[in-house]
Amino acid sequence: MRKKEESMTVLDPRGQPSGVFGRRLDPDSLPWAIHDPENQPRDTAEALGALKMAPRLDSLEGKTVYLVDTGFAGSADFIAEVQDWFTRNRPDIKTELRHKKTSMFTDEPELWKEIKKNGDAVVFGVGG
Amino acid sequence: MENDYGVPTAPIVTARFADYVQRDSRSHGMNLRYTFPPYPVGWVPRETLHGYVEGNDPISGAPLMEEVILALTQPLTEAEKNYKPEKRPERPRLLEPATEADFHRLFLESGWTDGMPIVLPTEERVAEMLTGTDRDPQEFVGMMSVTTHEERLQYTVERVAVNAVMAGARPEHFPVILALGASGRPSMPSSTTSFASMMVVNGPVRDEIGMNYGLGALSPVNYANSVIGRAWTLMSINFGDVRPGATFTASTGSTINYNNMCCAENEELSVWEPFHVRKGFKAGESTVSLFRGWNVLGFNTGPAQRMLQVMKNLSGPFGGAFTFVCDPLVAKSLKNDEGYDDPMKLSEWLVNELNPRFKRPEMVNFVIAGGEMNPMWVVTDFSYFQTTSVDPWIPKAGIKKDKRPLRMPEAVVCKDGSCGISH
Repeated sequence: MRKKEESMTVLDPRGQPSGVFGRRLDPDSLPWAIHDPENQPRDTAEALGALKMAPRLDSLEGKTVYLVDTGFAGSADFIAEVQDWFTRNRPDIKTELRHKKTSMFTDEPELWKEIKKNGDAVVFGVGG
Repeated sequence: MENDYGVPTAPIVTARFADYVQRDSRSHGMNLRYTFPPYPVGWVPRETLHGYVEGNDPISGAPLMEEVILALTQPLTEAEKNYKPEKRPERPRLLEPATEADFHRLFLESGWTDGMPIVLPTEERVAEMLTGTDRDPQEFVGMMSVTTHEERLQYTVERVAVNAVMAGARPEHFPVILALGASGRPSMPSSTTSFASMMVVNGPVRDEIGMNYGLGALSPVNYANSVIGRAWTLMSINFGDVRPGATFTASTGSTINYNNMCCAENEELSVWEPFHVRKGFKAGESTVSLFRGWNVLGFNTGPAQRMLQVMKNLSGPFGGAFTFVCDPLVAKSLKNDEGYDDPMKLSEWLVNELNPRFKRPEMVNFVIAGGEMNPMWVVTDFSYFQTTSVDPWIPKAGIKKDKRPLRMPEAVVCKDGSCGISH
């Protein structure tokens, strides 16, 4: 008859939650800082918990929508197709296409300010 | 844009990343309104992209562009207005008791291993591992994530010891493993491009713990090299929170991830200053230097001209960084026959010949390892990232060795020609 296996105790190998998150890179960061624990900016759970989504528009009619190419492979062509779709199907909506000048991981406040000043909404594409 | 500028935003991400980005978004405090076209988007004909835009979101089944417009115009729900990120639960110190077989199954099926058998981290084994340092078991060591944005997981000396035990390490290896943990760098950061890492140990600790920097330095013929490299992988999995498809997105992956090319530098046979000295450390300090890229790109023998020739024919996905692992014979030849008494001079020559506009000499690095069987070098697309000191983790009384330390057979060094007739 097989002997019953004895019960034992072992320690958990996983790390503990820290409440610290990675953040997008500052405009002057080198692109590879995104995976660099020393140089990538951080967010905290507290700060992230206070974020709010923007109110939505009643309609896009007569509005300006910025289309931002993130820089991932194929995104420039994809976002151009999105712009063509608006031209064909919703000529009442003005679109402005912009290509990110920095990496897809990097903040670009000048562009965000331009969108805030001159635009009503923004489409980012395409990630992945 | 949503929070900082108050501009409604419609992010479009390929369907392959739907789960990844939605979780990332939720953990960052916003349930963003994504739209998902089919995958892939890169390197497909424009007509295909046209079809994606005209077609449906494969996740929701709704017309893609209608979804984009709704994302910008449909009023926010109460849940969207008041979204609160979910807090991850704390991990226990001890797992619920179980049998040995059940624990092996649990660790494997939970994704807490590299797929190979582990040593179960019992309290007794972990306590023994902790004798490899004077540090308090509950001392904070660092935090890590394989992702760019997800929550970092933090870990203590004891949790590092748990992973060291799992890797099959002994207390003598623990200071180097702690130094790796203190770097906060996962060896396999998440990227569709499949990152790989390399670690090189310098200084007295190499011999104290029996690391291999001679013949077969990068091969599985040395205990210390094997378990230390593996421990970095296990820490990356368990502290970096590797979950394939969820947090870990390496499309092809890399076999280098199993051991991270863990080796030591052959300071004794090198005609150049040890690598860590070139990075500002003292020769008597023990360090571990960390590199990251994607692949071993090629190998060859001999002179600098041939290095240049190979570099011209190669580049990593993003180019610019090269780390050579050279047999000591290569360095001797480069110094004695070609006058490169400092590898930085060689780096400068190579980048100037290659592309002086875009390349920086400090991005071309040389490490010496090997057994002088052939003047071979291998070239990787690895960037050098940092050198971290091992010494702060070594006990005051010195490396804690077993009475009879475990050592694999050392390479036969034949000085009189008699070795060839023995087995």
